[in-house]
Amino acid sequence: MPVRLTSDRHLLFAGLDLRRKTLRQASVVLHLALLCSAVALAQSSTQPPQSSAQSFSADIVSRDSGGVPLGATAKLHAANHKARIEPAGADGFFISDTDAGTALFVRSAQRLYLDARQSTPLTRIFVWVDPRDPCRQWQAAAATAGMVSTGEWHCEPVGHAIHNQHQIIEYRVTAPAGQSSYGWVDSMIGFPVKWQAADGNLFVLENITLEAQPANLFSIPPDYRKLDPKALLERIKHSDVWVDSPK
Amino acid sequence: MRINCRNHFAWGASAVMSFSLLAATVGAADDKSKDNDAADAVKTESPIKHVIILIGENRGTDHTFGVYKPRGKHQTISNILSKGIVNEDGTPGPNFSLAQQFLVKPQPLYYVGAPKAAKAAYGSTGQMPQPNTNGAPIAQGESGAPFVPAFLAELATIDPSPDFNPLTNTILTTGFTALPADTVDTRIPNAGVLPNGPFVLQGPNISDDDYTGDMTHRFYQAWQQSDCSVANATKANPTGCLNDLFPFVMATYDLSDNTVPAVQHNFSEGNEMGFYDAEQEQASTLKTLADRFALSDNFHQSFQGGTGANHFMLGTGDAGFWSDGNGNPITPPANQIANPNPAAGTTNKYTADNNFSNCSDFTQPGVAPIVSYLEALPYRPEPNCAEAHYYMLDNTNPGFYPNGFRAPSPAAQAMIPPSPVRTIGDALNDKKISWAYFGGSYNDAVALSNDAVTAGTAGTLNSSTALAEAALADPAHALGVAYCQICNPFQYATSIMGDTAQRAAHIKDTVDLLADIQADTLPSVSFGKPDGLLDGHPSSSKIDLFEAYVQQVLDALEAHPKLKAETVVFVTWDEAGGYWDSGFIQPIDFFGDGPRIPLLALSEYSTGGTVNHTYADHVSLLKFIERNWKLKPLTDRSRDNLPVPKMRDDLPYVPKNMPALSDLFDMFDFNHQVKQPFLQ
Repeated sequence: MPVRLTSDRHLLFAGLDLRRKTLRQASVVLHLALLCSAVALAQSSTQPPQSSAQSFSADIVSRDSGGVPLGATAKLHAANHKARIEPAGADGFFISDTDAGTALFVRSAQRLYLDARQSTPLTRIFVWVDPRDPCRQWQAAAATAGMVSTGEWHCEPVGHAIHNQHQIIEYRVTAPAGQSSYGWVDSMIGFPVKWQAADGNLFVLENITLEAQPANLFSIPPDYRKLDPKALLERIKHSDVWVDSPK
Repeated sequence: MRINCRNHFAWGASAVMSFSLLAATVGAADDKSKDNDAADAVKTESPIKHVIILIGENRGTDHTFGVYKPRGKHQTISNILSKGIVNEDGTPGPNFSLAQQFLVKPQPLYYVGAPKAAKAAYGSTGQMPQPNTNGAPIAQGESGAPFVPAFLAELATIDPSPDFNPLTNTILTTGFTALPADTVDTRIPNAGVLPNGPFVLQGPNISDDDYTGDMTHRFYQAWQQSDCSVANATKANPTGCLNDLFPFVMATYDLSDNTVPAVQHNFSEGNEMGFYDAEQEQASTLKTLADRFALSDNFHQSFQGGTGANHFMLGTGDAGFWSDGNGNPITPPANQIANPNPAAGTTNKYTADNNFSNCSDFTQPGVAPIVSYLEALPYRPEPNCAEAHYYMLDNTNPGFYPNGFRAPSPAAQAMIPPSPVRTIGDALNDKKISWAYFGGSYNDAVALSNDAVTAGTAGTLNSSTALAEAALADPAHALGVAYCQICNPFQYATSIMGDTAQRAAHIKDTVDLLADIQADTLPSVSFGKPDGLLDGHPSSSKIDLFEAYVQQVLDALEAHPKLKAETVVFVTWDEAGGYWDSGFIQPIDFFGDGPRIPLLALSEYSTGGTVNHTYADHVSLLKFIERNWKLKPLTDRSRDNLPVPKMRDDLPYVPKNMPALSDLFDMFDFNHQVKQPFLQ
């Protein structure tokens, strides 16, 4: 029997925003406790704790900083440290595997797949995380996407809430070269449920339904081929299209 | 982690939308009852209401039409067949020695006219450098042309580029060398022992459907290859350009030791001397078009050297220069300044093979030999070098990315700062005449540029590198690396590329050109440039791939008879690409002209297989536009100010009033309209 977390998410996140403004001092003790817990955990792996893994589906919606829908949605399936994201209107879908450190874009009609790299930010946000230190997985996902980082990312807990008996922890996410973003993590599921990018745009999970997900949603048939654009680049480097920089 | 949510979240959807657009373009019916053609209302001097200029890469006139016999009555052509240099089957002819190539003993300084005493013909002193496989693909590949056939089909479904169509589906999979890289190209008959002169690219193992070795084609090298000196002048060749140092310069300009290049070293070696035999079905689409329409055998690349400067001249009638980005000339970084003087102890190795020179300063390396030669010519052409201007002589990416992002540190990014030079686009805008530049894979390049901006690399890297990195991260738009930034003269211009509305209105993709033809919304003036897969460039493309691109446009026009009737399609090239040519050269200023390149004029008023001899170059295309739409020359220093040549019967290729440039109107008979298919 699927369990659907159906209460009003807008109210939930309005509450989180309010808390960010008003409860910061009150939550210092909690933050310290969370940080201490996170530090106490072994840092040797980017894998989230196995105990956090569950299976669920959800819708990803996006809004700009003013709350105006950005017009694109996606369907999310998540299980066993893997996630499948199906952007509406796209002719393919993304599969990420937190344990394997991969993110792929799959086009079934063409029976091929590509490294997703930076094709979408969703594969870098909606990954299985350790609720006590999600930055390890977010940084790993960024590395999988080929984003160069000169140092460690830092996740600072800045708020929390209880929603449908799930604890939601809000983190300020700071990468060495970038502005801060904010991520909200459901600590029972071990998965982000909301992300506010540095430019203010929001990605939110809605209609979260806890239920088993078919394993084949997260696998690529063995006869699919992988496309790599490196050879194309090499050919182009022999044309006048390519301009070498002076030595 | 800064994320541009709008751009990336819409990634899949944009691909779907682009594909839908293409499908609509291909599938839509021609509504003959509706006339959307706003260009009809614009007054023109001729019946021509639309000009489409299609520009291929790197093929010369003798290289393409060297063995071609005009089909028009009483038509003549100047080529290696008519001169007896080769026979109709491509073998050496009775006058083969007219094309012989020379080597030169080491000289203390750069030269454009080698001292006679220092020259010796190959054959008497060593073998002419032989053709090699420089840069040509050695096997089929996945993601790189020539593609594995099954993979090409898959790639075509990933990217909705019009590159992938029935005309290209086969030839994008063929033509690899199956030879080691950078070795003698043994597909060419007798390669390894070829005599001193041109050789045909035809045999059991090679044709126009094969990738061949490339060659360097840069400014100072090209001047040196032309071997111009007034001491060589004759009545038939009053500018004294002998065109006899082509393999030598290629074999030596980056050769570090002091040996005479009698053996294979590097680069293109003897590739310059290769040619196709049109009379034996090579480049057969181009031949068919020449048979039915008009061909110029005295059309020239406007700039000695390569792609960027020639396209810039095509768009402006001038050369670009390094500036502060606000129109004021400044000195570029030292690593951009050329010094072609030979390094000590070498035959001809350039000291600094860089891209910019201040040609108003005779003390700058390389400048004096060219200016002195110009001053010695009987018509004394002005170098046209403004004081303290460092001109762009070789390929340098524009200061704008394809999406309009302005490189914040042009010097560090090796991108020329935004240009103030007035373009033909500005002149057309002033008269409210519609125009567009249609660059192959431009839409993908914009997507990659957006990626690069988001990733931050656009702010630090050269745009070629940044787009390549973006392509690895965004494979579905990887074809954007094949969009040619330096081919788009408007991408340099602040007035166009720095203005969002101008860019959106005028800078488009090949898919838009086909859509405009289909919808009868073609601008008055269109520039069409294929991407790097289809542009015909040796080693990275093939001549038949450019033919396929041309045919795709012509097929689209064929389906719209009314539009076709009032359109001329000019088919030409940016430059000869280093290929040797036997034609006369008229030096106009410091920058050119260079060797001949073919020009075809395809219209219902330019038919009959005629061959036009009036002297012309890329700027002649500007002059055609300006005359047809009654525009003034772009600036007081642009080449479109030059008069129309006065030609004479006894010397049909040499203007009496040098320097002079045709406006191409004499390729047409506007009183004689002939309806015929382009190719069917």
